[in-house]
Order: sequence, then C-alpha cells, then structure tokens
Amino acid sequence: MNWIGLWTLIKREVGRFLSVYKQTILPGVISSGLYIVVFGFTLEQRISEINGVPYTLFILPGLIMMTTLSNATSNTASSMLQMKLLQQLPDLLTAPLSGFEISFAYIVGGALRGFINGLMVIFVGVLLIDMPVQNIWGTLGFIFLVSWAFASMGLLLGQLADTWDHLATMQNFFLTPLSFLGGIFYSIKMLPDWAQTISYFNPIYYMINGIRHTILGVSDSDPMVSFFMALIMTIIFSLSAMLVMKSGKKIKL
Amino acid sequence: MSTPAIQISGLKKSYDNVHALNGVNIQIEQGQFFGLLGPNGAGKTTTINILTGLVRRDTGETNIMGKDTVKDYRFTRSHVGIAAQELSVDWFFPIEKLLYFQAGYYGIPAIKAKPQIDQLLDRMGLMEKKNSRLRQLSGGMKRRFQLAKALVHDPNIIILDEPTAGVDVELRHDLWQYLRDLHSDGKTILLTTHYIEEAELLCEKVAIIDAGKILKEGTPKELTRELGQSGITIHLSGYDKKLIPCLSEYTYTQEKNRLHFSVDDPDSSLPNIIKQISSCDIHIQSVESSSSSLEDVFLHLTGKGINQ
Repeated sequence: MNWIGLWTLIKREVGRFLSVYKQTILPGVISSGLYIVVFGFTLEQRISEINGVPYTLFILPGLIMMTTLSNATSNTASSMLQMKLLQQLPDLLTAPLSGFEISFAYIVGGALRGFINGLMVIFVGVLLIDMPVQNIWGTLGFIFLVSWAFASMGLLLGQLADTWDHLATMQNFFLTPLSFLGGIFYSIKMLPDWAQTISYFNPIYYMINGIRHTILGVSDSDPMVSFFMALIMTIIFSLSAMLVMKSGKKIKL
Repeated sequence: MSTPAIQISGLKKSYDNVHALNGVNIQIEQGQFFGLLGPNGAGKTTTINILTGLVRRDTGETNIMGKDTVKDYRFTRSHVGIAAQELSVDWFFPIEKLLYFQAGYYGIPAIKAKPQIDQLLDRMGLMEKKNSRLRQLSGGMKRRFQLAKALVHDPNIIILDEPTAGVDVELRHDLWQYLRDLHSDGKTILLTTHYIEEAELLCEKVAIIDAGKILKEGTPKELTRELGQSGITIHLSGYDKKLIPCLSEYTYTQEKNRLHFSVDDPDSSLPNIIKQISSCDIHIQSVESSSSSLEDVFLHLTGKGINQ
C-alpha cells in the first residue's frame, strides 16, 4: 500500500474543490436558502402540513439530500473527466499507485464535498427555520454514506465519459429528475397508486426518506430499507468504480 | 553483467485493426543514453506508454530493472520518471505544489522532497514562477516544468518522449546540456525523437523504428559506417511543386526549402542533381556535401525522410 501516495491524492482532491469553494460549496447553500424562502414560505400558506410536519420543514431533508448527492457525484465525475481531457491522468497512472488507491482517494474527495454541502444546508435550516435534528449522528452518518455512494457513482461516470456532454446528460436527464421525483417537495402518499409504485423503483426516494427520518422522525419508507438501499448502492458503486479503474477501461488504451 | 535497465522483447500492440507495434525488441543497459528514432506514428510513444503503464500490451515482455512492468508495477514505476510529449494542464494549483503532489504520488513526504524540488526549480529557471499556475507559464517553461516533474523522485531511469518538440533553439540546447549532465550522473535515459541531430548528438546507442518494428540498432557511428551514404544538402530559394516530378528518380528528404540526398558517390552525383534541378527552372541557393549521418541511415533503411 502506497500510503503517502494515497494521502497526497486525497489532499489534492480535497484541495481542488476547496480552492474553488464559490463553485463547489456556496451554490448549494444559496440555492437551498432560496428554495426555503421561495417554495417553503409561499407554499406553506397553502400546504399547512405533510405527515404532521410544517411544509418548509418537510422539504428541508430532501434539499439536504439533493445538495449532498449532486455535489458528491459532480465532484468525482468532473475531476476525473477533467484529468482525462487535460492530460493530467498520466501523472497518476505512471506513478506507483494502484487502481484501488486512486479510486479511494477520488471517492474520499467527492464524499467530503457532498458531506460538507449537506452539513451547510443543515446549518441553513437551523438558522432560517430553527430546524430540529432528532438523530444528529444518524443524520451525519446517513449523509456520509449517501455521499460515498454517489461519489463512487460519479467516479464511474467520469471514467466512462468521453465528453462533458456525456456527464451533463447523466446529470440533467437522470440525476436531477430522479431527485425531484424522489419526494423532496411532497410525500408519495399524495400521489396516485401507480405513481407511488413507480417511486419505489427510484433509489433517491429511499435516500430522501432516510434522511427525513433521521432529522424529523417521519418517513414514507421504512428507515431500515432506506439504510440498506444506501449501503447496497455504496457497495455496488464503490466496487464498480474500483474495478473499472483497475481494468483501465476508457483510461488506458 | 548487470541487469538491463530496460528490456523489451516481442512487444506487440494493435489498436482496432492497426498494428502499432509488430514485435519490438530493445535492451537498454544501466547508465546508457538510448535514442528511439522514428517518424511520427512509428510506435515510439506506444512503446514507452506500455513501459510506463499508460497502454496495455497485447503480447511480449517489458521489464525494468529485471522486473515485469505489469506484475511488479510499483517497483518498476518508482524507478522511472517520464516526461510525456503532451503537456498537462492544471488550473488549480501553483507549480511548486504540483511538484510536491508528484513527489507524494511516489511515496516521498513533503519534507524529504523539498531539497530536490528546490534544486529542480532553480535548475529549470522556475524558482521565480513557483507560485504561478501552469497556464501562466510560457511554452518553454511548461516544457521545463514537465522535465522537473519527471525528476522529482530522483529516478534511475528517465524516459523522455520528444522532449524538445516545438521548443526554440536556445531552450533545446539548454535541455540537451541538462540531459548530458543527468547522463554523466549515471542516469539511464531513453529518448524518443524525430530530430536526427538530437539522437546523433546525445545518444550512445540508437534504435531506428518504423511501422512498429525496430529496423536497426547500434551506436550512431556503427550505423553510419555500416549503412550510411554520403549526403548532399541543397537549399532552394523557394519551394516549387514542379520539383516533385523533376526529381522523381532520386531518393531524398525535404524540409521546406532544404533537400537532402543520400548518395554513394557525391562527386559524380552532385553535378547531375544540380543539372536536373536547374533544368526545371528552380533556383539553388546553396549546396553542401557531407559525410554520412543518421539521416542518411534512416533514408537508406526506410526509403523516406523522418518527417515524411
């Protein structure tokens, strides 16, 4: 194991997103604040409570999760694709680093960005609407687990993508729609039966309801099912990203 | 006899249906300055990319210091520093930081890397620019940074892929001197180039590669003695398309207005070539006759110029 190499790459990945915090940290905080103000305060006049929770409070865990997973995904995906396109990847591939070490460092970087973003939105919630957090360790642990899963998925996408267009397609046509349809702004109990059934196939539905349970104590899905879904996604995406890195697919000729 | 620094045997690589390497065999001894000379697309970069782990080999063996470059990749990569032909770009960090990262990838902590990094920044004339981003450096500085990056972990073996491609004459001579210094320090150097002069001046041993095969290997002197013919170099006042049919019976290389002919007997060939060019209404600026060089060897082996 090349521990110094691994630690160096982690420092590089974390330093990379921290050096451009205006692009990587602040937007999530600002957009979540805007969602709370625009959606929450205006719609709360008309939708008083969902599952016994005030509307603004109800949407906050979903916003935390959306910010977390989109940041975790885009960090690893864009960093990997950027390194490929700007000829930086050969520096790593010619160094005595294993595929596991490279993948692990990237995932840590992405997971940390997702985690920090999730944490910032929690602060926004606490500051703006005095959001209570029922299970703080459960909340932090769940955010980190989901960050790890989606950072791994992002790494996989970054390795397989050839252009920025490929990444944008994944983000715009899959990740964002699945996040919005995962129940950020509504409870799936408000949907017709067929739409509820479709929601059960959306993995992000379980992520949103998992975090909603740890923060508010209410959830559409069984909290254990949410936890296991996050765990399974973490395992599958981590292994896939590491195996693809080891194989050199789309990275080595 | 000591273990060869680099040993390549029967190396083959295809991309889709294109055979990039057709059984390459090379042996480079420790401390040797070795040149891999060939035109663009000959297989030089593919060979070194396989050695350094950027490209997967199809068949054959690639060993560094006696160890397999795939199975024992940690060992082999830690002995090699590579300066790639393509310049990398990093938007985020100053160049000094990038050198510390590079040292870290090779398992060297910052505190141990500092003397080597300071020395390299100084030698490459980059000390004043150490807090600049790569995009703020000139092309020549980027090339020097690329070399500094290859040397940051003080490797025994240095692989340089076209290190002077696209650099001005002054920098080229400066880099050549630095490579000579590294060689005299006992480093093994594998240099790929399509500049014949570079190979002739620097390398102790040269392999000529074309279409994925090593055509000939030896010291520049051996090669020119065995295969070289004398050379006639003619500078024209301007290029004219009618030159091509006019000289169709001769084998020559052309770079802009410079023509180089490899001939057995310059005394008898020179008047005929001049007569032929003059008969086509093409103005000759100057004529030089020279003894055999690697350029003539290359022409003899491949029937074409290195830049054609």
